[in-house]
Amino acid sequence: MTDKKIDNETTAAKGKVGVYICYCGGNISDHVDVEKVRESMQNIPGVQVARTDMFMCSDLGQEMIMQDLQSGTVDRIVVASCAPSLHETTFRSAISRAGANPYIYEHANIREQVSWVHHGDQATDKAIRLVAAATAKAKGLKPLEPIRMEARQHVTVIGGGIAGLRAAKDLADCGVAVALIEKSPFLGGQLAQLERLAPTGDPVADLITELAGQVLDNPNITVHICSLVETFDGYVGNFTLGVKKRPPEIDREKLASLNPSDRTPGEFIPFTGVFTESIPAHAEEFTIETGVVVLATGFKSYTPRRGEYGYAEFPEVITLPELIRSMAENKSAGKFLEVNGQRIRSMTMIHCVGSRQIPGIHPEDESGNFNEYCSRTCCSATLDAAGTIRQSYPETRVFELYRDIRTYGRGQEELYEQAAKNKVVFLRFEADESPEVVRSDDSDGFPLRVKVKDVLTFGEEVEVPADLVVLVTGMEPNNVSELVDMMKLPVGPDRFLLEVHPKLRPVELPVGGIMLAGTCQAPMDAGEACSAAAAAAVKAAALLGRGYVELDPFVAEVDLEKCRGSGACVEACLNEGALNLVEMEVDGEKVQRAQVTSALCLGCGACVAVCSENAIDINGWTLKQYEAMVDMIVADEETA
Amino acid sequence: MDAIFELDFDALIVGGGIAGLQAALDLADQDFQVAVVEKDTSIGGKMIRLSKVFPTLDCSSCITTPKMSAAAHHENITIFTYCDLTSLQRDGRVLTAAITQRPRYVDPDKCIGCRLCEYNCPVYVADKEEGGFSARKAAYIPFSNAIPQIALIDVENCMLCGKCEEVCPTQAVDYFQEPENFTIRAKTAVLATGFELTPVENKQQYGHGEIPNVITSLQMERLLAPHGPYNRVLRPADGMEPDAIAFIQCAGSRDKSMGIPYCSRVCCMYAIKQAMLLSGSLPLADITIYYMDIRAFGKGYEQFYQNAKAMGIEFVKGKVATIDAGENGSVTLRYEDQNGAGVTSANHDMVVLSLGMIPGWNPEGTCPVSTAADRFIHTIRPKIAPTLTDMEGVFVAGAAAGPKDIVDTITEAGAAAMEAAKYMAAMETARKAVA
Repeated sequence: MTDKKIDNETTAAKGKVGVYICYCGGNISDHVDVEKVRESMQNIPGVQVARTDMFMCSDLGQEMIMQDLQSGTVDRIVVASCAPSLHETTFRSAISRAGANPYIYEHANIREQVSWVHHGDQATDKAIRLVAAATAKAKGLKPLEPIRMEARQHVTVIGGGIAGLRAAKDLADCGVAVALIEKSPFLGGQLAQLERLAPTGDPVADLITELAGQVLDNPNITVHICSLVETFDGYVGNFTLGVKKRPPEIDREKLASLNPSDRTPGEFIPFTGVFTESIPAHAEEFTIETGVVVLATGFKSYTPRRGEYGYAEFPEVITLPELIRSMAENKSAGKFLEVNGQRIRSMTMIHCVGSRQIPGIHPEDESGNFNEYCSRTCCSATLDAAGTIRQSYPETRVFELYRDIRTYGRGQEELYEQAAKNKVVFLRFEADESPEVVRSDDSDGFPLRVKVKDVLTFGEEVEVPADLVVLVTGMEPNNVSELVDMMKLPVGPDRFLLEVHPKLRPVELPVGGIMLAGTCQAPMDAGEACSAAAAAAVKAAALLGRGYVELDPFVAEVDLEKCRGSGACVEACLNEGALNLVEMEVDGEKVQRAQVTSALCLGCGACVAVCSENAIDINGWTLKQYEAMVDMIVADEETA
Repeated sequence: MDAIFELDFDALIVGGGIAGLQAALDLADQDFQVAVVEKDTSIGGKMIRLSKVFPTLDCSSCITTPKMSAAAHHENITIFTYCDLTSLQRDGRVLTAAITQRPRYVDPDKCIGCRLCEYNCPVYVADKEEGGFSARKAAYIPFSNAIPQIALIDVENCMLCGKCEEVCPTQAVDYFQEPENFTIRAKTAVLATGFELTPVENKQQYGHGEIPNVITSLQMERLLAPHGPYNRVLRPADGMEPDAIAFIQCAGSRDKSMGIPYCSRVCCMYAIKQAMLLSGSLPLADITIYYMDIRAFGKGYEQFYQNAKAMGIEFVKGKVATIDAGENGSVTLRYEDQNGAGVTSANHDMVVLSLGMIPGWNPEGTCPVSTAADRFIHTIRPKIAPTLTDMEGVFVAGAAAGPKDIVDTITEAGAAAMEAAKYMAAMETARKAVA
């Protein structure tokens, strides 16, 4: 990026406003009379042109704005369209391309705030008022320059699962220094709890050993195990993380067995993870200065409630992860699968346990949450396990009770077909008629019966005898509420971290310089998590690659003519260091005056509210501009 | 024909759909010089042709055009449209791509996109961009938000009347334009060649796509689009407003009779989305979705599906066996009703075939990259580095490596850009080590 000089003529000119109103392809125009809004704007003093377009964000729409700027017809821009979070940058960059200052632009949100929530005349009336208010503000806008700050060439990845490893490795390969922070003593995350991945059959041990090995060998990466981020400070390009490393709070004996001196760094311990270094004996605290944070905090497996399909009531009811582990630890061949020393003649696998929950049908958890989402990976994992059992233990019968089989990915449909060929029996139930697992008192020796109403046989009530019931449990996001609070991150209704926009900015969080990777965002399989991690890494690399970051210039500015040095603003300031009283000379006298440190200013306006002299204001959001907006909103309709 | 010029770039992106554009932007933002080669007359791919997108119901244009515009204006990106890739080979450390620029019969440097040629052209042709439901001229700009906004002449239908040449204010029309060959050399490439819809002509049981009022899902996208052919949803054969509309899922996916055994991954969601949009524009219409499994697996997708059910859209489990023309332009479906009626039939005013995806490009004879049994590009490390192909320095993104929705495509495009950037960084390290 090159420096954009402030155009002096633009500064001098007084608000020749151009208003550009978007139809949003019907999103707005279906409810707002866009042409009426345009006509109303033409009557507002200072408005030179008011134009409409089907898609103002399209190249042609942008072109229209640029032409008006370049011809000198207008020097202030109001765009009325969707939320500024979508296209503010689009329009700012169009204004820059036209040679004007990007901050002579004001946005009116007439989609989310109008057409999506109001209808008919009310919608049009509100749109007119909002756009009129924006024009009033736009008249008083002055060109501003972004605050440019050096960016630390360093990324901190939080989470040492497959996504965190992938992101760390990719960034390090691009020459960026990386700190990888993992809360547990091992790398590999939840993936280490599996044995091999469907449908490719890749052994988990190989994948994690390879990736973790590359991470450990890379001189650009520092791995911190047993570590948690406890404090967070700063802004994009210049974050400070306070990290605490401490001995893990797990069983001492188990720890000792996992932490002997003969382990070598990079060694994979099945169902545990990759060993990196000895577990710390004492707690220590340190800080990391970093430019970008990548969150790869992952998921945890859903734990069924006591009594959910007999879980924790009947020992013969286990979860899919428990089955996978049991099978991995006991690979003896035979006619029958054996689990916990029991010969399994018949097993029933119940899908969607803790996933696709429907309020009103499924009970909420103790915090009042439902997992309404699909966990995406479980169908394939189940089919893979079922198919394997049928092939390795031909006398063990396998039943799958499902709602929809979601073998969407490459090679997954083949798993489904393979399982069917291997005589896995499929029964389909409706969400509101969940199967029931009951203790069997029949003489046939099966400890459990699973009752299900099978849609595939026209709703026949079927009872399946079972030695083992496997609950196919889904994913839940790891609890990262402390990070969420510290970093002020948005969380979706599904409790996963919420990206800025699923298509426009899928791996970014609205806090500048914080990316997200993998299953902290949504359920994903290993490959998808790696894609997301690499995508987060590429965004981080591009952000740091310029060597600097630009912050919006919406920060406080002191009018030294008016400031009397009362210090009220310094007291009110929410971000320590952003406002200070400094000594300076006025008319030969030494006095105290307020001074702003732009990079630290949050632009919150707390200082503006307390200044009795009106000596401090927020650039781009001045009191005068607010007043003009309010005047316009409450103006009679004839003027608006 | 010999190449008339050679160009050097850091990265070559094959395909200017959403995958290619995202990969290009992510590389260009790291200061790499990027060439995007697009076979079509405009960038934007399939996504720019959609109405709204699931699960947010954002208008597709609102998401696509800014990325198209950002790529088109990026100082590190050069876009070549209406170009065929005739060869992509590795030659030591360099990838060499042979490109043929098809003639537009309009000089792109002179055309100002004023559309005078289009307005004055007397020839009307069914507009494929609008599902064939409306007409365009033989001299035309492909669609309203196409990039670039440069006219072209459809020589198949042009009658050489000379009107366009007469009215063109910049003398851009050139009836004698020839294809031009040129070469792009790059260090790395991303294949983002996308998909096409499964050919319904191959499905005898569904009438080879010739039954009136049976349309494809992309045609339905155009009917629902704000700037679509009728500005409302009408039955194409007779202009009637349909009261009963059916969607047939897995029409061209999970269907061995068509040679397409795999799931196309997006059809469940786009059918639900179209059904929701339809119930908005035709509130009284009955909408039925015939399905095998509803695969709503992405973020927010299951909730979207449950909302559709709550809105009264009917979901019927069963694969439709046959489709036949019914009375008065209606369409008759034969299927097995699992709620007890057994094999039965139903009539609808209009039927949408939820067609699946087949690869948009076959590299055979052009590029030594392998394809898998599904004919999409083969990826060698799907679990750990999903964009790696078996050709050194060549990566793949989006539907080129198997059916994928837009969210997954955009993420994967970022991943492919990362691999390409790493590849170039490693090349640079190796070069420095030698020097």
